[in-house]
Amino acid sequence: MKISTVGIIGGGELADKLKEVLGKANLKVVTASLNGDFVKEIAECDLVIELAEDDFAVKKNLMKTCDTKCKKESILATTSSHPWVTRLAGETKRPDKVVGLNFTKNPFEDKYLVQVVQGLQTSAETVQAARKFLADTGITAVKLEETPGLILDRVIASVVNEAAVMYSSRLASKEDIDKMMKVCVNWPMGPFEFADYMGIDRVVEILDEMTEQLGPKFQPCFLLRRMVDAGWLGKKRGRGFHIYS
Amino acid sequence: MEIKKIAVLGAGVMGHGIAQVCAQAGYEVNMRDIKDEFVQSGISKIKKFLSGSVEKQRMTQTQADEIVGCIKGLTDLKASVGDVELVIEAISEDINIKKDMYKELDQICRPDTIFASNTSAQSITEMAMVTKRPDKFIGMHWFNPAQLMRGVEVVVQAKTSDETRDTIVDLCKKLGKEPGVCQDSPGFVVNRLLQIWYNEGLNMYDEGIAEPIDIDSALKVGYNFRMGPFELRDLVGMDIGYASTTTHYRELMREQFRPPRCLIMKVKAGDLGRKTGKGFYEYK
Repeated sequence: MKISTVGIIGGGELADKLKEVLGKANLKVVTASLNGDFVKEIAECDLVIELAEDDFAVKKNLMKTCDTKCKKESILATTSSHPWVTRLAGETKRPDKVVGLNFTKNPFEDKYLVQVVQGLQTSAETVQAARKFLADTGITAVKLEETPGLILDRVIASVVNEAAVMYSSRLASKEDIDKMMKVCVNWPMGPFEFADYMGIDRVVEILDEMTEQLGPKFQPCFLLRRMVDAGWLGKKRGRGFHIYS
Repeated sequence: MEIKKIAVLGAGVMGHGIAQVCAQAGYEVNMRDIKDEFVQSGISKIKKFLSGSVEKQRMTQTQADEIVGCIKGLTDLKASVGDVELVIEAISEDINIKKDMYKELDQICRPDTIFASNTSAQSITEMAMVTKRPDKFIGMHWFNPAQLMRGVEVVVQAKTSDETRDTIVDLCKKLGKEPGVCQDSPGFVVNRLLQIWYNEGLNMYDEGIAEPIDIDSALKVGYNFRMGPFELRDLVGMDIGYASTTTHYRELMREQFRPPRCLIMKVKAGDLGRKTGKGFYEYK
């Protein structure tokens, strides 16, 4: 199926960027706010992307509404960073046409990575159509089967967790651990810089989700939980592993 | 203690690079290996590297000649370490060979000579304890290629003195390197964290979640890693990766370090990466 009209539900930085990029690729874009009435033109879109806050109840209601109102061919995409594609699909009558499109903003450049998430019932055609659409717009996409943490968060949260264990056991200072990963093996950021960038609360949330669904090796280091308790949530709060002024 | 003269033991991949960096910073260097052909091979690699620098106009031919002039190639152990303040050991990664070497060095070196091992996998503590100078024993873990990689892990064990640590940290800076201090433990800092990064990438492939190219691309495009875990495994070599992962798993005894099945199978199949033309990817 060819995607030529795209509905975007929700606002913010990502919505603005999407409108710009899709416009350049000559795709018709219909936008709607999260709180207003359902916009009629959304119903006719080939692809509908929801940008609601990452709350299951909110996303569930939105998905159900879209399923009821949209034409039967429409692909419904969730941007959730949680493994909710299959659960959300189960709330619709078109589980084969529900897919995850998770956007990650590159911390250094003005570009996004999209992780195309295939739920248990998502059809190969739906994934194919989503990938084709992203290729047309010039956004780099990778494909994965639904899993907690997706690709990026699983790798980075695991690294952060191990670094927290090492720092807690006084193997090295956090400054030296960050520096070493950058100067010895050219990492773009050290593990604690990654943690502060993502948010310590988010790191713990990912690790908890992976622990629950994949097993105990992902269990968050106690230091990370204590930091959440202390409100040292990272860059956004001015303090995480490092202090930001 | 002020370091004036350095002995580098081993003229292989790491040894010759370390010797060159020390010579470039103006230190007198004795580069020693067990056979003259190894020593000569190390020296010719240094000359080749330097003539590349001259071609790129990063230095003059005179400067390159001066650097080579600072390096003395030797096979005699006693002659190479007798009058130095520091021995940097970059010989075979075999704990028994290393221990034998340190026992001998302890006898023939000056009592104030510092011993620094470039090991990436062996215990600094275990090696220090075969000498009568554990306070002067430290790890100095370089990265390949030593001439270009800026970081050096300075690994201290329980008995390393603060003075020894400070001397080596200071030396790293004089060599134009960025030192990071860590305690002796398996994988130190860098390799231990790299193992996690590799393993979680490879595990996702084993679990049928994504293909190598998708996992590599996600990390490169999403977060600007220069290479993904599969590409880096292919570059370094599957056999070396397997050995390293296995060591971490054995010594740290945690699930996170268990060698992924795909890595084990690649080693068994002889698809070791770029050097065999095939690993996770194919190379022509």
